Amino acid sequence: MRRRALVAAPLVALAAYPAIRPYDTYQHTVMLLALLLAIQAVSWNIISGYAGYVSLGHSVFLGLGAYTAGILGVHTGLNPFLAAPLGGLVALVLAVAVGVVVLRTRGHAFVIITIALLLATQIMAINWAWLTNGSDGITLSLPPWSRDIANLPFYYFFFVLLLLTLAASAAVRRSKFGTGLVAIREDEDKAAAIGVNTTRFKTAAFGLSAFFIGVAGAGYAYFLTFLNPVGAFSILGSVTIVLAALVGGRGTLWGPVIGAFIVQFASEAATVYGGGSSSRVLLFGVALALVVLFLPAGLLPTVQAWWLRRHPVAVEYTDHAGALGAGPVVVTDRRPPPAAAPRQALLEVRGVSKRFGGLTAVDSADLTVLAGTVTALIGPNGSGKTTLFNLVTGAMRADAGQVWYDGRRIDKLPPWRRGHLGIGRTFQVTRLFRGMTVLENVVAPLPDGRWRTMLAGAVNGHEADRARDLLGLVGLNRFADQPAGSLSYGQQKLVELAQVLMLEPRLILLDEPAGGVNPSLVDKLCGLVRELNAQGVTFLVVEHNIPMVLGLCDPVVVFSRGTAIAQGAPAVIRNDPAVLDAYLGDDWRPPGASSGVSPGAASAGGGAATAVGTC
Amino acid sequence: MTELVQALALGVLIGGVYALLASGLTLIFGVLHVVNVAHGAFLVLCAMFTWWLWRETGVDPVLASVVTTPLMFGFGLVVYRLLIVRVAGAAPAMSVLLTFGLALTIEGVLNVTAGNKFRSATPGYFSESFRIGGISLPKPQVYGFLAAVAVLGLLYYVLTRTWTGRAIRATAQNPTGAALVGVGATATAGLAFAIGTATTGVGGSIMSVLYPFFPASHYDWISRLLGIIVLGGMGSLPGALVGALVLGLGETLTATYGSLRWSTLVFYVVILAVLLVRKQGLFGTRLREDVAL
Repeated sequence: MRRRALVAAPLVALAAYPAIRPYDTYQHTVMLLALLLAIQAVSWNIISGYAGYVSLGHSVFLGLGAYTAGILGVHTGLNPFLAAPLGGLVALVLAVAVGVVVLRTRGHAFVIITIALLLATQIMAINWAWLTNGSDGITLSLPPWSRDIANLPFYYFFFVLLLLTLAASAAVRRSKFGTGLVAIREDEDKAAAIGVNTTRFKTAAFGLSAFFIGVAGAGYAYFLTFLNPVGAFSILGSVTIVLAALVGGRGTLWGPVIGAFIVQFASEAATVYGGGSSSRVLLFGVALALVVLFLPAGLLPTVQAWWLRRHPVAVEYTDHAGALGAGPVVVTDRRPPPAAAPRQALLEVRGVSKRFGGLTAVDSADLTVLAGTVTALIGPNGSGKTTLFNLVTGAMRADAGQVWYDGRRIDKLPPWRRGHLGIGRTFQVTRLFRGMTVLENVVAPLPDGRWRTMLAGAVNGHEADRARDLLGLVGLNRFADQPAGSLSYGQQKLVELAQVLMLEPRLILLDEPAGGVNPSLVDKLCGLVRELNAQGVTFLVVEHNIPMVLGLCDPVVVFSRGTAIAQGAPAVIRNDPAVLDAYLGDDWRPPGASSGVSPGAASAGGGAATAVGTC
Repeated sequence: MTELVQALALGVLIGGVYALLASGLTLIFGVLHVVNVAHGAFLVLCAMFTWWLWRETGVDPVLASVVTTPLMFGFGLVVYRLLIVRVAGAAPAMSVLLTFGLALTIEGVLNVTAGNKFRSATPGYFSESFRIGGISLPKPQVYGFLAAVAVLGLLYYVLTRTWTGRAIRATAQNPTGAALVGVGATATAGLAFAIGTATTGVGGSIMSVLYPFFPASHYDWISRLLGIIVLGGMGSLPGALVGALVLGLGETLTATYGSLRWSTLVFYVVILAVLLVRKQGLFGTRLREDVAL
């Protein structure tokens, strides 16, 4: 309730201000420019804050909207307010067209491209004089209303547009669309692995963020009544947007609004008291550098963090007993287990190769995983096991060869499609979305690629229940609302497993599941794998804990130098001289009594009281 | 025919100067993985200083680089220690924003102190040319080219033949590994940043003669230089050389046979095309990407 009042009060004040003081023309102008900046910063935040794709050329969309309204006004006499949705549409269409290609780049490349796009558009606006009247610019018709109300229509135009933009941003954040964007920001490849169609998510976010700025651009052109390329496609304008969002707190809903008002008022104050507009560049430069150095998270998150430090939440520990005592879990509640026995190949890798420069990491490898098995993949470091995982899940494209899953060829499919088909994986080094809570992490996977799924609420009741069940299973229920980054390494491994199970996969690829997990939980993990396997889930496990592998898995495939050199039952593999030579080393001897585990005993005993860290 | 040879010769001269201007940018990216967006502003800053020195003392602008180079080296060291080192491990966007802020700050300072107007140092030989056959090569362009070749040669020598150079290259390839064998990553990165900035000493001095500049010229310059190093492969010095020659020739050829208005667009088209189609550029290599960090 208090929170709602906190939000509503300034908005009501903003709405009422011109009505109460109708003749403060100067103040209205400053305020409406702040509103315009807020619209841009909130829009920018959708792609650059939520999804982390920082655009330094976002004012290109303001220019596009402005020029759409200007050109339409000159040729048809259409009122810019009426042309505004069209301005938004032009910005949206161009953003989507460009975004599909440009959003394939990341990091430095994307930032540079956005600057280049803005400046290139500026040059085109100068050179295409037949359309834009070149450097001479376009003069729009003056507003028809009385001078007495001056800028009030612009004020309310931008105010209403800001509310709409905020509503859109809030809706995005509450949906799976928003969760997916944050997932992309935190770890894009991981997001793709859990079923997020990253191309569509990013492009949609880019288009949406362009749309509102385009609409605003039309209103801005009307307000200025004059347009020229250098003013409309301004790099300084872009920097102001970034600065506003950064000051307030990118990735938050309200931060960009707060930042926009601070930046606009500061800029106005500098112009009035600080030696005119020529010092504005200096002010922005210094402010940008200072914010990056000393307030990189922004005001709102910094204040929130301070508040949380003042009011700490008691941190609890892993519910060990709960994890070990959790009852059997039914994971495949959507798909019935496949009819027993006919052991068909679920996954087939045929002659797959992958090279990095001169190094061949996977060398025409063949591998078959039969449905219903727990297949192990072992081999020395650098033998290409993880690369093979990446090729199967689509994180990388193979240079040659084919991958078949459940009777269809999948090596050309993007990673998220493979996730939707039922392939889940965990990573060697855990890759949770550290900024999200544990519960958000577990519900982040998307089961299919439909728009309806993407736009559904981020966490619905059924999902939350299921996620809590899965967290209970790994003993981390009490951590549901903690940020995932605050968990220990072993705990993160368990959360990642719960996350994969959320997809209800038919094939799970585990990359060193026991690394860094304490022995009693390794037992639990093995039990879980067996239980899921009994329900029809197939596993492919990379693991260096050989006793665990020999006890849990059948068959075992041995990889060396990028290809499979042996395959067979554990008992066969452990005595195969080629394997011993390639993997275990020359001086390794088959264990007699030394390790204390024989495969027969381990699989029969189900992990009862054997050596530490084995099953 | 003469027109073509003229365009090619001029293109090579321009390309040589571009190579010098871009060398520092690519060196800094190679070692620090920071796109120093302020590189263009450093150039303009140095050009402004050279212009002032030339006007006050009459010293030849190209020779003035003997003074400006150590100054810019020191400036680079200070900028690294005060600013860049703080965003060392941060997301790429943060270092771009920081250096962008720095570029704006320099532009703003120049705006306030020197005013927003075009300047150019015009020593005695400013409008003279060497004439070889039917081709005329502007003297400032030739001197600039020679200075650029000398500095690039020196840079190459330092990077390949001295311990410092090896330390810089080691840090560029693997900072952790370099640290393990006794190369301090922070100190080496600072040195690389300072050397990269020092190249703007000679570069800015040459620029003051060759290209009229004003405080906001740095946008134009950074776009050109980014085009060059993106084409060559970010972080690769030979790549920057080839990229500079290609774009220098491309520029003179577009201006000769196409239209001057569109010649600046070439750089943006190159940036977009290369980053989208072959991100590693001409000389960059792709390394194994699946190794967990």
